Amino acid sequence: MTGSRIAGALSELRLDRHAVFLVLIAIYLAALTVSPAFADPAYLFNIIRQVTPVGIAAIGVTLVMVLGGVDLSIGAVISLTAVLCASVMGGDAANLPLAVGAACAAGLLVGLANGVLIAFSRVSPFILTLGMGVAVMGLTQLYTGGTAKGIVSPGFREFFNFRLAGSVPVLTLALLVLVCVGLAIEKTTVFGRRLFLIGSNRRTAVLSGLPVRAVTVAAYMLSGLFGALAGIALLARSGVSGTSAGQGLEFQVLAAVVLGGTTFEGGRGGIAGTLAGVFVLVIAFNLVNIGGLPYHMQLVFMGLIIILASALYGRLSERNG
Amino acid sequence: MPLIEVSNLSKRYSGVAALRDVTFSAESGEIHAIIGANGAGKSTLMNLLSGVTQPSGGTISLDGKAVRFSSPQAAQAAGIATVYQEFSLVPQLSVARNIFLGREPRSRFGLLDRARLAADTRDLLERYSIALDPAQEVGSLSVAEQQMVEIARALTYASRVLILDEPTAVLSLTEQENLFSIMRRLRDSGLLILFVSHRLEEVRRISDRMTVFRDGRNMDTRPTPGMTIADVVQLMIGRTQSVPPAPHLVPPDAERYTIDYATGQGVQRIDIRRGEILGIAGLVGAGRTTFARALAGNPVPGASVVAQVNGAALALGTPQEAIRSGIVYLTEDRKRDGIFAGLDLVANTTASALSDLAWRGIRNRRTERVRSRAMLERLQLVAASLDLPIGKLSGGNQQKVVLARALLTRPQLLICDEPTRGVDVGAKAEIYDLLCGIAAEGAAILVISSETEELLALSHRILTMHNRRFVAEMPVDQANENDILLAASGGTPAKEFS
Repeated sequence: MTGSRIAGALSELRLDRHAVFLVLIAIYLAALTVSPAFADPAYLFNIIRQVTPVGIAAIGVTLVMVLGGVDLSIGAVISLTAVLCASVMGGDAANLPLAVGAACAAGLLVGLANGVLIAFSRVSPFILTLGMGVAVMGLTQLYTGGTAKGIVSPGFREFFNFRLAGSVPVLTLALLVLVCVGLAIEKTTVFGRRLFLIGSNRRTAVLSGLPVRAVTVAAYMLSGLFGALAGIALLARSGVSGTSAGQGLEFQVLAAVVLGGTTFEGGRGGIAGTLAGVFVLVIAFNLVNIGGLPYHMQLVFMGLIIILASALYGRLSERNG
Repeated sequence: MPLIEVSNLSKRYSGVAALRDVTFSAESGEIHAIIGANGAGKSTLMNLLSGVTQPSGGTISLDGKAVRFSSPQAAQAAGIATVYQEFSLVPQLSVARNIFLGREPRSRFGLLDRARLAADTRDLLERYSIALDPAQEVGSLSVAEQQMVEIARALTYASRVLILDEPTAVLSLTEQENLFSIMRRLRDSGLLILFVSHRLEEVRRISDRMTVFRDGRNMDTRPTPGMTIADVVQLMIGRTQSVPPAPHLVPPDAERYTIDYATGQGVQRIDIRRGEILGIAGLVGAGRTTFARALAGNPVPGASVVAQVNGAALALGTPQEAIRSGIVYLTEDRKRDGIFAGLDLVANTTASALSDLAWRGIRNRRTERVRSRAMLERLQLVAASLDLPIGKLSGGNQQKVVLARALLTRPQLLICDEPTRGVDVGAKAEIYDLLCGIAAEGAAILVISSETEELLALSHRILTMHNRRFVAEMPVDQANENDILLAASGGTPAKEFS
């Protein structure tokens, strides 16, 4: 009888919703035993700073994946917007608003294209955003001529990397603020609720009179916008505007989102889980570094995370119905 | 010794008891009906016997030996096979391939041995006198024939027990007769057939014994001969069945919807007044659902609707527009496009009315909960919590939630497609009451149903469709089951449709 009571208590916990937080606690405790540095808030804030672009992009991608879509063009959007922001800025702080505006507009535009094509055609979001990503990458190369272009203005990097109270980088703070914005969209707006409804059952959503196409377009535009903000954050972190700065980041983003419990089927998950997923990922990467394993182990590790987390959540949600 | 003996069996889902201390037994060579209201525990019992889920307590014995099935495969290996309401056939493959799917006979090189497959299939079909062509593609079969394929597939496993879940729900009268004669042959060959149903008339005709469930307990097991339907209903719902309310009178000056339905065969005009319940009869495939969906903003090529009320045309381009115009369609297939299975009851109830319950796009959770609870209570929904995913509710309760979602949009014209499909006697009576109440408050209601008695009890007027056309119209006091069936089968209508 105790056995069934424990099983009952476990299923009350809704493992499929909270698994990532348990994983986060476990990996953090593991990290502590490897290096006491993980107990130092300044160190923690710094590693979060490293992962800010991925974290910001993951917010938008989470919204799209809750809807039952995916955005593989996000890496290309990050590259495009980073280099666009740098070259509009042209080393002059006065151009900053214009630069940020241009980057955001570019992100929104790519998102609009993704959203409209997905809402009005039958192409799978995987294929469509993959193709869009390749096209955007090409455009970026054409625009830059294949070399680094643009210079960030003085003070731009310094501002974002300034440490409030000596330990909290502004960039880290920006991530946390944007997470709160994302959470507000997800939890308090009609739009956020509709994302879950459409992701849960698109046919029912159509029949229930939900504006499925409008919500789809808006979600992809938000993904593009957060992608642009991630591009700006990347520029702020590194200061270098290479032509392929965001290349491959889409896989880190996907790994974090999937790890956080937002599945490819849609209708479940959310940004809180994604943030935890981002943290798990960055701690794991740091452990790989500390362990002296080659950098490319990170890639192997990420691929495994995407596969394992998808499989695991599939099983858990099956069990919980 | 009984073939199956179940003792003190119980099952809890997230702490909620679905089955409590169930004890009964069934013999080989009998048709044993399992009946009960929605949520009474029929499906849970079936899932436990077929290895889909595992019991929280108690035992299942087969031939006196306790068994524990960890998976459906384990139950099949023990000779227990189940035919579910939803089919799992591959439409592109032949009857034979479907029957032996995953266990096809192989030739020496591991390739499909077509000759043996055909021979094995023919043997099987002949043994049980099932009239099917092994080579025919399953997608081209009728629903009844597809069900026979499912049964034949189950028979390849079922050496001892065959469980049939609501098998007659999709069948016409003659198809039912055919199914029943096959069931009798199987029984006479020594099989135990567990027949899950809520159609009491059928249960009375076909079963040898019945076990009645209520609230997760088995009330009694009795021999069928000698039981009246009233006796069974008494056991199922603990009281005698309420008679469906007589339709109230429709005010003669009520607003009138005029609906022009255009198909390849021309335009037909029908009308319905506020407060009226209009029944639409017809066989499966007569085009009733196509008409209903077109009216609710889901036109398919070759079927379109223009609707007017008081001479003003209604916008019906999309379901969204139709709902704004006051027309809501309730699907006949809840799982496909009626529910958001993984989401809770509040999310499911408020889905269509989210903007109305929000302030400038910002949700008000309290309002959502309060309005959902009020509406669900009005529909007499019994659920442990508003936070349950709707997928865990019984069919009848899911239907109430879907109805609640529609009512929150204040519909003027409500279209209910098979509103009581998969719903038991108790909940059925409740849904009839609700629909009558909604009509009495001034909404027009279109009810599509394959159960003629339901239409006769509920409607003011009955239209019959055949081959995508309205072929007969009868006021309910001049309608009877025979005339409706005749018109639905394409026979001479009792009264020519104007």
